[in-house]
Amino acid sequence: MKAILFLLIIFPLAGATLNGLFGRRLPRKIVEIIACAALLCSLLMATAAIINMGGGTFNFVLFQWFQAGDLSVAMDIHYDALAAIMALMVTFVASIIHFYSVSFMRNDTDYVRYFCYLNLFVFSMLVIALADSLVFVYLGWEGVGFCSYALIGFWYGDPVKATAGKKAFIMTRMGDIGFGVAVAVLFAHFGTFSITHINPLAATLSTGSATLLTLLFLFAAVGKSAQLPLTTWLPDAMAGPTPVSALIHAATMVTAGVYLLMRLFPVVQQSPQGMLVIAGVGAVTAFYASLSALAQRDIKRVLAYSTISQVGYMILAVGVGDMVGGMFHLLSHAFFKALLFLCAGCVIQALADEHDIFKMGNLDRHLPGVFWLMLVGALCLSAFPTLGGYFSKDRILLSTFIQPGIAYKVCWALGMSAAFLTALYTFRMFFIAFLKRPDGKKASEMHQIPRFLVIILIPLAIVALCDGLLNLPFGVGKRWLGHFLFSVPGAVVDVRASTDLFLGMGILSASLSLSGIALAWFLYRRPQEAREKGWRAVLFSAFYLDTAYRYWIVQPYRWAATLLWRQIDEKHLDANIEGFGISFNAASLMMRVWSTGRLSTYLKAFLVGLAGLLCLLVGRVTLW
Amino acid sequence: MVPYGHVLILSTILFFMGAGCALARRNLIMILVGVEIMLNAAGIGFVGASLRWGELAGQGFVLFIMAVAASEVAVGLALIIFVRRHTGSMNADKYRLLKG
Amino acid sequence: MTFYGIIFYLLAGLLLISTALAVSRRRLVHAIVYLIISFFTTALLFYLLGAPFLAALEVIIYAGAIMVMFLFIIVTLQLEKKEPERESSLRVWLPAVVLAGISLALTAVLMWAGSDHGHLLKPAMASPREFGGYLFREFWLPVEIASFLLFVALAGALYLGRERTNGQKTTDSKPEAS
Repeated sequence: MKAILFLLIIFPLAGATLNGLFGRRLPRKIVEIIACAALLCSLLMATAAIINMGGGTFNFVLFQWFQAGDLSVAMDIHYDALAAIMALMVTFVASIIHFYSVSFMRNDTDYVRYFCYLNLFVFSMLVIALADSLVFVYLGWEGVGFCSYALIGFWYGDPVKATAGKKAFIMTRMGDIGFGVAVAVLFAHFGTFSITHINPLAATLSTGSATLLTLLFLFAAVGKSAQLPLTTWLPDAMAGPTPVSALIHAATMVTAGVYLLMRLFPVVQQSPQGMLVIAGVGAVTAFYASLSALAQRDIKRVLAYSTISQVGYMILAVGVGDMVGGMFHLLSHAFFKALLFLCAGCVIQALADEHDIFKMGNLDRHLPGVFWLMLVGALCLSAFPTLGGYFSKDRILLSTFIQPGIAYKVCWALGMSAAFLTALYTFRMFFIAFLKRPDGKKASEMHQIPRFLVIILIPLAIVALCDGLLNLPFGVGKRWLGHFLFSVPGAVVDVRASTDLFLGMGILSASLSLSGIALAWFLYRRPQEAREKGWRAVLFSAFYLDTAYRYWIVQPYRWAATLLWRQIDEKHLDANIEGFGISFNAASLMMRVWSTGRLSTYLKAFLVGLAGLLCLLVGRVTLW
Repeated sequence: MVPYGHVLILSTILFFMGAGCALARRNLIMILVGVEIMLNAAGIGFVGASLRWGELAGQGFVLFIMAVAASEVAVGLALIIFVRRHTGSMNADKYRLLKG
Repeated sequence: MTFYGIIFYLLAGLLLISTALAVSRRRLVHAIVYLIISFFTTALLFYLLGAPFLAALEVIIYAGAIMVMFLFIIVTLQLEKKEPERESSLRVWLPAVVLAGISLALTAVLMWAGSDHGHLLKPAMASPREFGGYLFREFWLPVEIASFLLFVALAGALYLGRERTNGQKTTDSKPEAS
């Protein structure tokens, strides 16, 4: 078992190292094979581990990292049911994305760097998923942040793309401050970094410290998962290659925040106020992002806002204490969002890098495979009844509803509205991009894309379709996921709701989804021009949050930095040091007067010295 | 005879006269002359001291001062010949390679 | 004021005057001649102060050899052909006079501050025999070293003064004679 888990983590790291060190000397095929094989082996290991372990828990130490006095940090693994599911999902989606990337990046010459970072990213994500010691988690946390920066800014020649990478890194880094402080506070309380040791002791925390910790971890999660207030980096991060967006911003990195909260759920649970804040942040973000997605033009930006919105649901789930629901939605979202992104990638490549949906059209005729795959993804995202997204979203909304207090009802209302809007914007995007249009793309404008790109998505689509089976509220595999996650601290298998409420909520969700799709059909089945005035502009810029940040935070910072640079650094510090040098020069110029090269000058100097010495002597003798 | 201090005063005046000559004259030969005067003055001082204390060591030292003066003048004059041959100038101010 | 005292002061006066003249002459040969007079006077002074051997040596070495060398060089290099340099400007001898004067004053003060300056010297004489014996006993090593030094000076002077045959360049480039 130890070997299996060790190999699980090591394979992507080995792939990254091999490609990083030797990639430039190896032929292209070998590099790609190394990268994909590493992932496949990891996937095998993840499957083997889950089969081996069942739903139990397994801890072991990889190796001792560093030791300083009382502080001892080890790289250790805490493999429980939650980690098992996460690892399996990550490796599965990442494998598909690796294969997709082989074909997607076929024309790019910088593939070595790409695959190296992609493998490294998977390694870091697996570390986050499996790690026990919070410092080890932090290692993975920073690793995904760095790889995300490297991959978003992959085409760094374009300054816009490079800036997007930087923006992502800096904003997630701000969340990491919360992580660091929280880890320090935890250490101050418990003297250990290990999750397995902290969770049982969580009950000893006072509500105040638990709230503080929850808020800090929430801040970290907000950074990584692009929730309010740190959402603005994710839409800009679409500057990276599409498989990167699929991997990082659909399935893995953005879910890392949610996952962290779930791992430390016993700590979070101790603070009811903290839970409320979490739920509030999730619900508001879900609503805000779905509104913003309604006015986007770039196909990837629609999906980006959609991701923000769906992760908001997961955070909401954590906030209401439904870990199973959150995890379920995490899984469904990973599958269908990755599917949607990858299909978008196919479309973008087929249309020679066209991102604007208003310039697409007629794609049902030209790209039939992508059409059906995208339809599957869109239906799952809109929570079409009987599909995976439906059951998971429904469960989250149910859990929210049954929570006491008016605040949770408000969250529920926001969640419901967001569900409606989700269906609306998803099918807005789908209809505008794919349906027949008189001014849509003609066959002559299409580029050939390899069939492999489409074929590799079929397993993903199948999984997305069937993933409702994971946690059906009835029938044969009843609550399989719930039972599987039972051993994880904080998981509740059944949402304690009456059957009436349950049915009512289900029907309400289904009707919201269907009416959203219908409204989209009515509004967007005919050709539309893009309108950008009025409320559309507000939504397009996501309520001007980015502008606000630039105005209130970035510009004052730049002003202060320029001030420090010009005024203080150049005028004062540099000038002082230079002045020091200049004064030395001046002093030596003054001394230069004495070296005339003439004998008489030197003899004079002798005599002056002699007179001086005599002076001293006289002073000594007479004055004592 | 005379107070010891007077001998020393004589020696000192001669010494600083020689120093002034070495300083003030530009001709290389005169600089050497100044050095010779200084050495001679030192010799007078030594002989006076030898008489004061009745030690012969002072006189012995004067012998060596003379030997050193002789050899130094020989080498100095050879240098002057050398320098004169190569630049034709006897003015100490003309040699300025060490300037700066 | 004893007889020897008077002689001493006379000799001292002569010495000072001749040295002062030697220092201040414009023409080299005159300066050398005055210096020779000065050395002769010094020799007499040595004799008065009880060092007859040194007096003889002073005449032989200083006045007889060194000054002759100076004259020889002056003649060889024909240093009197050119016009005597006119550098009696104030800028030139004022620093020298000032510095020498200051040092002189300071030394005088030093000497005055000491307690020994009033000690009257008693006439005495060190015969050459005594002196030779003393040298042989106490100072034989410095004598050997002095002979070695003379040899080195000889070699150096020979080397520096030798005639350069054509093609033999000096080690440094010509110094600037601006």
